[in-house]
Amino acid sequence: MNVANGEISQEIGDINLAYMLLAQKLVKQDRVAAMFRLGVSRELADMLASMSLAQILKLAASNFLLCSFRLDEHASMSAVVGEGKDTMLQQAHMSILMSARSLQGRKEAATV
Amino acid sequence: MSTKSVLGEVREVQLAIQLIHLGARLQFLESEVGLSRERLIRLYKEIKGVSPPKGLLPFSTDWYMTWLANIHSSMFYNMYQFMKTHSDEEKVWVLIKSYKLYLQQIEAQESEPILDFTRACTMVRFFDSDMLQLSTCRRCAGQFVAHAHDHKSGYVCVLCRPPSRAGKARGSKRAAGGEISVPGMESIGLAVESALDGGGLH
Ligand SMILES: [Zn+2]
Repeated sequence: MNVANGEISQEIGDINLAYMLLAQKLVKQDRVAAMFRLGVSRELADMLASMSLAQILKLAASNFLLCSFRLDEHASMSAVVGEGKDTMLQQAHMSILMSARSLQGRKEAATV
Repeated sequence: MSTKSVLGEVREVQLAIQLIHLGARLQFLESEVGLSRERLIRLYKEIKGVSPPKGLLPFSTDWYMTWLANIHSSMFYNMYQFMKTHSDEEKVWVLIKSYKLYLQQIEAQESEPILDFTRACTMVRFFDSDMLQLSTCRRCAGQFVAHAHDHKSGYVCVLCRPPSRAGKARGSKRAAGGEISVPGMESIGLAVESALDGGGLH
């Protein structure tokens, strides 16, 4: 039981680290495009870009996944996944939904 | 935009080069770049190896409503809107960046770009002049390009409710291995194009 839990923590840590490193790489390449792909605010993007490896490692070693599920509505999720759509259409649908999501997130953040 | 300074002119030339590479038409270059028509034509020839094509820009909003075109247009416009909101750059650079992002997305999907740069720019103008709007699909909550003042409620997008013939056309396109047959675009799109080519001004 304990061993299994340790493995899960390790896996979460690995994913966190991979995610943080990728996110930082994207932000350093092109901030706005990264904000689009990651769905994060400008402030967060800047912070990601400025983080040291030590900081990233520390943050990644957590029991919580740092990347969250972005298709967080059942309706959207089933619209994209369902009905045996071909890959191209599924990707296109995803792209459209994700863009709107990112914008919605920003709008909400801005009004708070 | 003033091109008095040398640096300013360099920037204009760089902008023109980017736009020509993306496939911008001469009319668009003239409206966005502060260089003379003669210089733009020379630049165009140098980059593309041929003279810029004649003919008007496509101007009908109907093209954006056909099935596959609507999917691609919606992808692009969502990206453009994001870029416009979050980037500090000039509008024309925002256009360029979002169009490149669109091309990247298409490449990742291993499909063909349906929306060319001129059409993308024209679409942005249609939005600016309130002829097009984004309508929210009530099934998937995605935002799709639609005629302005249309379908305010109860709108269902082309992906949640594809036309029946779209599925068939898709199958045959795949079998043909990249052959350009664009499902759902037959009648309206082609009619508009030929009308434009026939009546080219200048
Ligand atoms: Zn939909």
